Amino acid sequence: MRKGKIHIFLLLPFWVYYILFFFIPLGILLTYSFWLTTARGLVPTFTLENYWAIFSKKLYFILILRSIRIAFIAAIICVVVSYPVAYSLTFKYKKMQDFVLYLILISLFSSYLVRIYAWKTILGGQGLINQILQYIGLTKEPLSFLLYSPTAVIITLVFIFVPFTILPIFSSLQNIKPELIEAAKDLGANNFEAFYKVTLPLSMSGVVTGFIFSFILSAGDYVTPQLVGGTTGMMIGKIVADQFGMRYNWPFGSALSYFTLFLLALLVYCLIWILKILKLRR
Amino acid sequence: MSYENTLLVIKGASRSFGEVVAVKNFSLQVKDGEFVCLLGPSGCGKTTLLRIIAGFETLDSGDVLINGKSIIDLSPHRRPMNMVFQNYALFPHMSVFENIAFSQFLKKKPKEEVARKVRKMLQLVQLEGFETRGPNQISGGQCQRVALARALINEPKVLLLDEPLGALDLKIRKQMQIELKNIQDKLRITFIYVTHDQEEALVMSDRIVLMNEGEIMQVGTPKSIYNHPNSKFSAMFVGENNLLRGKVAKVDSDCLVISVDGLELFANRTINVKTGDPVTLAIRPEKLRITGELEGKSFGNQIRGKVVDTVFFGSVVKYYLRISGNITMVAEDKITDESNSRSIKIGDGVTLGFTRESLNVFAE
Repeated sequence: MRKGKIHIFLLLPFWVYYILFFFIPLGILLTYSFWLTTARGLVPTFTLENYWAIFSKKLYFILILRSIRIAFIAAIICVVVSYPVAYSLTFKYKKMQDFVLYLILISLFSSYLVRIYAWKTILGGQGLINQILQYIGLTKEPLSFLLYSPTAVIITLVFIFVPFTILPIFSSLQNIKPELIEAAKDLGANNFEAFYKVTLPLSMSGVVTGFIFSFILSAGDYVTPQLVGGTTGMMIGKIVADQFGMRYNWPFGSALSYFTLFLLALLVYCLIWILKILKLRR
Repeated sequence: MSYENTLLVIKGASRSFGEVVAVKNFSLQVKDGEFVCLLGPSGCGKTTLLRIIAGFETLDSGDVLINGKSIIDLSPHRRPMNMVFQNYALFPHMSVFENIAFSQFLKKKPKEEVARKVRKMLQLVQLEGFETRGPNQISGGQCQRVALARALINEPKVLLLDEPLGALDLKIRKQMQIELKNIQDKLRITFIYVTHDQEEALVMSDRIVLMNEGEIMQVGTPKSIYNHPNSKFSAMFVGENNLLRGKVAKVDSDCLVISVDGLELFANRTINVKTGDPVTLAIRPEKLRITGELEGKSFGNQIRGKVVDTVFFGSVVKYYLRISGNITMVAEDKITDESNSRSIKIGDGVTLGFTRESLNVFAE
């Protein structure tokens, strides 16, 4: 075994795993999206019928757009909530950094499903929020929009994916050398200007990463909408899952998946491009 | 070239971090246009003091005044001083132009004026043509010059420099020392320069403030600190020095006779001591002249020694000498064409002559 080549052997398990269980299945799915399904099973052919079918019913498009909208709002809220937390941990409460980070990590240890069920209970008619509101006297009856609605989906998604947003933002803030901020102040920037002209631009990469994490994870989520979304909160994930389940139309499911994936990628790319333009102007 | 006005006054500044006293009752007056070096070993408080002047550290007690007005309640962005940081602190997401122009854009100056000023600064630090480069595309020395331009464009009353040349190669450092000195001469801005490199301080400053453990040990021009250190610390920190311990044998009207290990040495009477007091003597290696027997008498002091080692340093040669059982000393000699004929070898016995004035005495 020649000295320099050992890294190839070390990387082999990773690549084998990824190729076997990620790239190849993705490739298979892509191939399926051009096939057809009949009573007798899958028919290998090449057709764009499945993709056209996406446009045949308004429902699919509505659901795709709704999924994107819900995911986008959830991701924005994630970023808006995470940034101050990451910021104060980095610059104000440095001693609490480890402790809070452990808390965030621990929240990820608990089962994802259990957490969604917890929210179902909290948001429900007899749930904690409604009980408190009625107890204080702000409302007379339970608020129905809190559960089985897009709002419920957004709230739940935010709480589930905030840890994924805090960590990249925190990491990028940690990498800012404090003397950069001191230099900005020394040159005449007040606290806000120093933040806006130095800290924010330098933490943007973390913000974008955090946003992309929560956006893409939210858009594809299909358990959360199923449990707390009701009919108005249904997202495209459910339809795709159905195609692979009872509807037994894998080609259509694949086409739907790839089409949604394409739209999401396009959207993320546009967002990054917009940010680049804004950053250049600063 | 006016040194008339006192610009910056530090009065009794003290600052501790928990149990550690960083700065203890520090007082200093700096004149307008002066180049002052804060010199001292690591941990002596010089950087803390600089940050106090800049506004990045608070004072436990004392005051800092500019033109008679206290500035300790002003936050850093309101103070009329600018800082050049040790690791440059250039904004990585901005070009050289944007870095230098940063302070001007904050002040909402018009674009053409800013462009003109930046160009002038780039000329001053000899970096014309570098406007669009990013901080990670230029060398360390160039970064330092951008940091300098960025601070100077603001026309501060005082420029604070925190060991700005520390991260540079020796050759570039020496070059930058001269460039900095020239820029300061040209602009006549007050420079307060922190360094632990005593050679740097000697080269650049009008005045040196020697610090140790948060306190001022000595303040003076490079010459006075070098030739007349006031303590063992000063003698050893700046330049090389031979230290001897002895006892005062006799106090005359204008000179002291000190006995060191059987030798009798004569020094000018610069301190108040009485016979029997223990003292420390310091003599610089280059002040020990290797002489013939008769010449030595004209120096005022004469001792004999044996060469145990010679070391070649390029432009000088150092002789390590054993004077007596307990005393070893270092003598330094410049290498000239004549000295080739002298050729002193290990084992030679030599006579060393030195003046009374060059022998410093401390009461320790």
